[in-house]
Amino acid sequence: MVPVLRKYFPALLMLLAVISVVWAINLGTLPPADFVFNNGTEVKTIDPAKATGVPEGRVINALYEGLLRSVPDGEPDDLGRTPTKPKAVAMSDSYTVSEDGTVYNFHIRENATWTNGDPVTAEDFAWSWMRFLHPETASEYNYQLFYVKNAKKFALVELEEGDPVEVELKDRPVQGQIFPRGTIRRGQLLEVIQAVAEDDHSEVGGHGHGGSGGEGPAIYVVEFQSLDQQSEVHVYTTVDSDDDEIQSLVQSYQGETDLTKLQSVEHVLFDFDYVGIKALSTHQFEVSLNSPTPYFTELAAFYPLHPVHRGSLEKHGDREFTKPEFIVSNGPFVLRERRIRDRLRLVKNDQYWNADSVSLNSIDVLAIQSETTSLNMFLNGQLDWDTKPPNTLIPILKERDEWVSTTLLGVYFYRINTSKPPLDNPLVRQALNMAIDKKSIVDNIVKGGQVPARSLVPPGMNGHQSGYCGEYNPQEAQRLLTEAGFPNGKGLPTIEILYNTLDSHRDIAEVIQQDWKKNLGINVSLRNLEWGTYLDTLRIGDYMVSRSGWIGDYADPNTFLDMWVTDGPNNQTKWSNSFFDEGIEKAKYESDPTERMEIFRQIEQTLMDEQPIIPIYFYVSTNMVNTRIKGFTANLQDVHPLHLLSIEPEGSE
Amino acid sequence: MSISDHKQKELERLSAILQEAHQVQGVSLWTDAWKRLKRNKAAMFSLWSLIVIVLLAIFTPLLPLQSPTYQDVKNRELLPPQMESYSLGIKEYDQETERLQTEAQTHAYGSSEREALLTEVDARVKKHPIQLYWLEPGFISKGMISLRLMIFGDFCIPSLFGTDKLGRDVLSRVFWGSRVSLACGFIATFVSLLIGVSYGAISGYLGGWVDNLMMRLVDVFYSIPFIFIVIFIMSFLSGPDVREVLNEYGVGQIHVFFLLIGAIYWLTMARVVRGQVISLKNEQFIEAARTIGATRMQIVFRHLVPNVMGIVIVYLTLTIPAVIRFEAFLSFLGMGVQAPDISWGLLVNEGVQVITIIKSYWWMIAFSGMALAVTLFALNFLGDGVRDALDPKLKNK
Amino acid sequence: MQVLTFLLKRFGWMIITVWIVFTISFFLMRQIPGGPLNGERVLSEAVRARLEARYNLDAPISEQYFSHLWNTVQLDFGPSFKLQDYTVNEVLAQGFPVSVALGILGMVFAITIGMTSGVISAVRRNSAYDYSFMLMATLGIAIPNFVLAAMLIVIFVFNLQMFPAAGWGDISQIILPAFCLGAPFAGYIARLTRTGMLEVLSNDYIRTAYAKGLSPRTVVLKHGLRGALLPVVSYLGPAIAGILTGSLVLERIFVIPGMGSHFIEAAIQRDYTLAMGALMTYTVLLFVMNTLVDLAYSIIDPRVKLE
Repeated sequence: MVPVLRKYFPALLMLLAVISVVWAINLGTLPPADFVFNNGTEVKTIDPAKATGVPEGRVINALYEGLLRSVPDGEPDDLGRTPTKPKAVAMSDSYTVSEDGTVYNFHIRENATWTNGDPVTAEDFAWSWMRFLHPETASEYNYQLFYVKNAKKFALVELEEGDPVEVELKDRPVQGQIFPRGTIRRGQLLEVIQAVAEDDHSEVGGHGHGGSGGEGPAIYVVEFQSLDQQSEVHVYTTVDSDDDEIQSLVQSYQGETDLTKLQSVEHVLFDFDYVGIKALSTHQFEVSLNSPTPYFTELAAFYPLHPVHRGSLEKHGDREFTKPEFIVSNGPFVLRERRIRDRLRLVKNDQYWNADSVSLNSIDVLAIQSETTSLNMFLNGQLDWDTKPPNTLIPILKERDEWVSTTLLGVYFYRINTSKPPLDNPLVRQALNMAIDKKSIVDNIVKGGQVPARSLVPPGMNGHQSGYCGEYNPQEAQRLLTEAGFPNGKGLPTIEILYNTLDSHRDIAEVIQQDWKKNLGINVSLRNLEWGTYLDTLRIGDYMVSRSGWIGDYADPNTFLDMWVTDGPNNQTKWSNSFFDEGIEKAKYESDPTERMEIFRQIEQTLMDEQPIIPIYFYVSTNMVNTRIKGFTANLQDVHPLHLLSIEPEGSE
Repeated sequence: MSISDHKQKELERLSAILQEAHQVQGVSLWTDAWKRLKRNKAAMFSLWSLIVIVLLAIFTPLLPLQSPTYQDVKNRELLPPQMESYSLGIKEYDQETERLQTEAQTHAYGSSEREALLTEVDARVKKHPIQLYWLEPGFISKGMISLRLMIFGDFCIPSLFGTDKLGRDVLSRVFWGSRVSLACGFIATFVSLLIGVSYGAISGYLGGWVDNLMMRLVDVFYSIPFIFIVIFIMSFLSGPDVREVLNEYGVGQIHVFFLLIGAIYWLTMARVVRGQVISLKNEQFIEAARTIGATRMQIVFRHLVPNVMGIVIVYLTLTIPAVIRFEAFLSFLGMGVQAPDISWGLLVNEGVQVITIIKSYWWMIAFSGMALAVTLFALNFLGDGVRDALDPKLKNK
Repeated sequence: MQVLTFLLKRFGWMIITVWIVFTISFFLMRQIPGGPLNGERVLSEAVRARLEARYNLDAPISEQYFSHLWNTVQLDFGPSFKLQDYTVNEVLAQGFPVSVALGILGMVFAITIGMTSGVISAVRRNSAYDYSFMLMATLGIAIPNFVLAAMLIVIFVFNLQMFPAAGWGDISQIILPAFCLGAPFAGYIARLTRTGMLEVLSNDYIRTAYAKGLSPRTVVLKHGLRGALLPVVSYLGPAIAGILTGSLVLERIFVIPGMGSHFIEAAIQRDYTLAMGALMTYTVLLFVMNTLVDLAYSIIDPRVKLE
């Protein structure tokens, strides 16, 4: 046998080679799509409750639709910007707001359906928002709904004695899936038995007073009203009932309740029925807020709050339900195919309530990370829309017809770790700020017409007034540094700038390195880390100065300011100022817009005075769009709803 | 024939034989190889080129080059190769400082004008452009730079290779980058040599299950993709405590990077050395050494290793280019040398990131790419030549 | 029979190798600072704790190790940490064929170009063909493939506009990357073929073949090539490894959604499970290919015994 094999071996090899080549070439050829654009990265997920970034937003806004939708509305202003407003041209076709501005009532459109034919109802929204807030969903954006009554209590499981609670028993129908949930029992929380937190100086003896005050697993004593008005008391815990800590709590318990029938359950949560989210009927959806929140309509249009189809999620689980073969959505497009780090193929949804107005039939969403490659593909005709062309070519690209750009609601800034001496001295921080020639950076590096920034909150929001930090003044910077005790930089250690690996960040960091050396005599080293390591390093505070960026989630100064509260998860600078914290809280309840803006101005000024951050420039959107595409407007939030785009047939000009 | 005649003839015969013997010289491996190498024109040319490249790299601080790190984004961004002259402006700067100093002297001692001027002079001295032009040069480099300033003053070779995105001169970047790339190549190879030769020699000599085990380990290591290891250790190194310890010993991240790469390339060396040792260990001279009581380590390192050098050198010529290419590969992916350090891989990466259909900025890729290619080319040719020269089958041809 | 024992032995070693790779990489990955739970919006503690619980990161490390090992044995690599909607198996299933396709084409380029030029060089020894081919071969070996890719892009994509810039999905998008991938190996193969052929052609039986009156072409192709095939086949092992590594950088430049780009992104993003899965796949793939190469070698050369 072997000699025969040997004889024909070369021929066999050739055959193998030919077959494999044919197979390789045949692999995945797709017919071209109407519209192709580069989303800049592979989307993390298309589940609205789990997504956090702009690229994800573009896709989710095409596949799903929420109560309202932010669309360009009105004429461009003198800077070429078209305003965008959240409007009832989505799942809701009208809404009312109560007199005091805290209750919103949305009417769900009658002819809105999911792609499987089910009608979209208010219950869909109530359930989706419950899921969004559910602690086990662990949505990274859940705080966006904390303006709703009791939403925060539900999401963060802040239980106090006397609260209405819902208990989910350990009988979930499908293993490994959160939804569908187990049996829910609703009652009232009588007692919380929990170990005392270390810094809680209240009673000793294993009995804390209030769910959010204690530490470790807790025992909940809940009272239920049965049908015949009898009350039953049950004792629950969310960990194993023979867990050591629980057992020690039971031992040291000195109260009156009988703890012997301790039962282990899935969750004890604040009763969602008491959260200000209600489906009043199949088409009326009501939301009750803690206080009037002017940007709530923008939130209602914000993609994490888009509804998901309960039936398909409960059937397939939250990992599978967004697969092309399972997904049930309600937006202008449907997901036909998804190839990781290659493309998402979207196809027009004929069931969409407004399908007639959708002009594009198919869209390819690409995930190219390299700016130059993306531009090359655009210039090659392979792409119709490029969201981020390389900086060096922007002056040339600006002159082309395809260029669409305007100010973007975002800021590029540097964080300073205020816990690391000598950066704990505000004079040093101010000196660092005033030694940077931001105009040079904007003119010579990023070149997109970005605006050098002296405040954190980008301009362009109604009535907004900025607080300012110092401008470029090397002399003054030197004087400040001398005053801080470091004349000519003597005595200062090497300052390290951290940035995540990207060309523009490196270029800017190198320029700032030279600025600080030249103007202040400070030695600067650069450290760049890959994205994951970079974020973790920021989180644990192992940096001195770090590049950062922030894009506004809605057009209100609050989205830029509320992260700087003491110990805010997005603060990361260890900066803390009680005046600032109070201001943020006050602004939440301030109904007079002028007053509110004044509060923001004051706290922003505090922020700028203390300078835990150095604003560098305000972003500018930088789009290259094929001239055949119509409906693409320049606007402050850089939103470009895909269903509003259309292609001009060739040769029609 | 008389007896003396006989003797005479004998003498002549013997001296003739002696003469013949002299002509057929016993050649050592090295002389023989060297002779053959010399005849290989391509290899010799490569050798000389490499020597020139290495010398240029070593003496880069001495050359009248522009600063490799000074940015001038406003005026000199992405300029094509050109002949426009460039001056460092140090002379002017020093003259101005001197002028201020003299002016300060004219004022009364202790007067405010004098103090102000003296402070300014002080500041100027501290912020001397030298510090901007060459970031943190080492001791020797600093000496060379001072020498260069003495000899050439402000004169700089114009930007023959153009400038990059931040206005930095590509020519000087290529030169300064060569220092890192070549240093990496040689140091890492040296590390791999140390580890590989010891490992292979010990494994080959001891034989048996030890050898088996050691070689199996080598086989396993071959299967692990390198990138993972490098990322891990690089990010581990950026941890604060590790960094501090390293800084204490004056070791930078880059030195550890060299060691890391070297620690990856010892595998082939080990295999090759082991093979050679196995074929040598039953030779008589080893037997002889054993008879006189040499310990195993002595045998390995004093007798086997020198005899293995031939093949080791061959593999050196293979490893050095492989290491240089690997460093470029990593720096290209952003995981190797970090700014403000410069390496050829980093330069090629910068080049690739700017080439577009509109403007190709070809000089950003061409020169660093060529530098890499030429060096690797020369190393390959040299390697071929060395291999041919050391080939025992061609001995004395 | 011999083949069977050989394969069994190899399989055994593969298991051991894969297990060692698994263990080492498992612990390496846990050491790297930077958890998998990162995003531009930093998580508040409550959310983070929940995510950690879901991915079992708060279990003691030995427990994680064994559960992960057990899953891997069942070829279940788990969910991807970063690509939230996918399991590792799904990602690899999409990326693997793409990389294999690219690799195959690269290899085919390498072998065809390499062997052809090698044969011509050998037959026309010391001619202009010989010198120029060998020069190009050394060039191909010397120039790193990303430098080559950059230069070819400038020439063929920008100036001559013959090929598209990047992407995957059409024949024209495969040619340039496959060529860049195969170029260094074409160089080696050319040289090996040439040396091999020269050696074979100097043998007695070749002279006999000529004496018998066979045409040069038959002699070269039928007899000579067979001998030259050996060193090329034995080179295929490292060549395949090289092609897989080379594709990492090329998949990046040409934006090809193969396993290589997934692997790099996974490593960069601390996507533990995906990185491990790709790593395992590469290890197994290399092992399998090396075994096949050894088998092929033994088939071609009757003198070689499988051990």
